[in-house]
Amino acid sequence: MESEIICNELRKFIELGEAERSYELAKKAIQLIEPVLIIKNCLIPAMHSVGEKFARLEIFLPEVMMAAEAFESAMKIIEPLIAQEQKQTLTMGKVVIATIQGDIHDLGKNIVAMMLRASGFEVYDLGRDVPPDTILRKALEVNADIIAVSALMSTSLPYIKDLLRLLHEKNLRSRFIVMVGGGAVTREWAREIGADGYGENFEEAVKVAMELIEKRRCRSGDY
Amino acid sequence: MLDLFEILRRSEEGPYIEEKEFDKLVFRKAKELVKDYGIKFDRDNIIPTDNSLIKDIFEAGFKLALETGLYVIENRRVIKLSEEELKYEILNTPPEIIVGEGRDSRVLYARKIEDQRRPLIMGGQAGAPIPEEFYYEMAISYMKEPLIDFINHGGLARVRGIDVRTRSPAEALATIYELLYLRKAALATGRPGIHLLAGESSVSAIGDLAIQKPELIRKTDAHLVPILNDLKTDYDRLTKAFTFKIYGGFNVTLVDPVIGGFLGGPEGVAIGFIASFLLGRAIYGSDYHVIHPIHPKYVSTTAPECLWLLSVVSQAMAKFTNFILMGDVWTSNGAGSRNIFHEIVANTITVAVSGSHPLGVSATNGKYPNASGLETRFMAEIAIASTRLNREDANDIVKIFLKMYYPEKMEKPDVGKSFPELYDIKTITPRDWWYKLYQEALKEIENYGLKTRSL
Repeated sequence: MESEIICNELRKFIELGEAERSYELAKKAIQLIEPVLIIKNCLIPAMHSVGEKFARLEIFLPEVMMAAEAFESAMKIIEPLIAQEQKQTLTMGKVVIATIQGDIHDLGKNIVAMMLRASGFEVYDLGRDVPPDTILRKALEVNADIIAVSALMSTSLPYIKDLLRLLHEKNLRSRFIVMVGGGAVTREWAREIGADGYGENFEEAVKVAMELIEKRRCRSGDY
Repeated sequence: MLDLFEILRRSEEGPYIEEKEFDKLVFRKAKELVKDYGIKFDRDNIIPTDNSLIKDIFEAGFKLALETGLYVIENRRVIKLSEEELKYEILNTPPEIIVGEGRDSRVLYARKIEDQRRPLIMGGQAGAPIPEEFYYEMAISYMKEPLIDFINHGGLARVRGIDVRTRSPAEALATIYELLYLRKAALATGRPGIHLLAGESSVSAIGDLAIQKPELIRKTDAHLVPILNDLKTDYDRLTKAFTFKIYGGFNVTLVDPVIGGFLGGPEGVAIGFIASFLLGRAIYGSDYHVIHPIHPKYVSTTAPECLWLLSVVSQAMAKFTNFILMGDVWTSNGAGSRNIFHEIVANTITVAVSGSHPLGVSATNGKYPNASGLETRFMAEIAIASTRLNREDANDIVKIFLKMYYPEKMEKPDVGKSFPELYDIKTITPRDWWYKLYQEALKEIENYGLKTRSL
């Protein structure tokens, strides 16, 4: 019973973006609940709820960011107690995300990054105006599953092509799922350059990311 | 506008703050002000008649501009303005400017709420990457429309077969070519002095600097200087603003915040718009301003939250300032579809009745070049017909049309056809089927009491 109360409290404080209180509650929670179950039953549902509220415009980007910070602070307590193989089953996958070189418009990308985080992805957000080689370096460093890039301006699209070319030249194309989106990117163009996925908006981006990860896992025999 | 060098000095010596902290400040302040003033978005009142709401939005926006200032991304400094400086801009902005040349010139004026004067029409698929293969012909399709007063067409994504990259030589050449095509189209249609809001191919300052000569962009023309989201600028934007001011042309603030970003919901975005226009006038020395709310899911300005924003912001600026505003008309659906007309009706009425001039139509949110002069003619007809409406009647009509496309036709829009499929590219006239759709749309709106000049 007490464990249920703590779990609910933890969910509430994550949703409210209260990082310190989430951290303290996580300390209490590990005394009563198995760490994996805290993540599955308390933390992930909290972030799902945050994502749904944002989709309905009941909360906004800064509140999603605060919730993600609260989630991370609870994870600081819980994560060290979980075995490596269990960690892999808890995360949807790793995403390196950036607004591509030549583009400083990052609000849409920030929203997608937050929504991916809310959906259980481990997200490495490199910011805006990021050169293709920097993105690739980070993807290799963290062993990412997905590289996601956005462009609002059509004059940034050639840099996305550069990223694809670089992946091919280094024989790394099959290693990463490449997703593209943003105001300047169309579904047809995404197909034309050989991207694996396209998101018209943040909801589609998350859905497609999940589907692509699922497919890859099925193919590699993880399931 | 303050002295250029005073702005430059403040951009280098203003208070230092980390960008994350500035974002938090904007969010906190906008939230506080929305709460203090009790500002609420109401989807039943897309065009509100509550004058106290309009006053609250303006006052809150003024306070936000004062509290936050404008953030410079590169050096993390804030350009701050005093209350007196902001008030000076409000009191000393001329209510009209003359744009364009010769008999093509127009007096561009600050519209008022329920203004019965003819709104001025800015036509073009603004913000869209247009293929070079038909850029010129497409520009003519707008310029040949007599109801269109000004042109704001898209940029070139490729020039002579080469992809245009930000900050590359191609950006400079694409912007030069954009202006060459526009100038040639203006001449070809017998409107050599038509006012251009141009240089859209220039994302950084490179293209902009390349066109500052009378045979390309004239001193009677304008270019966009965006306020970055939210309440930010950078060296490129400041360079554009300063150099064009010295050149002698018109700076135009583009404000396009995303609902749900650091300003919060529609209420916070409303006051963010006011703050941005005031800062745009003071810092960029903008002569007119473009209002462009972005929906986080649909992008289009035709979503209910965006329409409400177009209305309340236009009303607030019209009531308390002489700022000249252009309201963007960005649709989810494309030219060649029936749905686009419904979106245009709702968007254009909202803009024209609330105190802005319409700018568009940027069909498919500028993603595809599925646009033409014909749907902009329709926008112009609606804008002119709107001058007979008061806010209550306008609100009723807007809600009827909104129901026709929202949300289903925004979820799955009909993106229509590309320009060469819509127009005979040789004669630059609409194809029969497309013209028939236009005529049917005109007939449809008559059922709702809107009388256009064409009927």
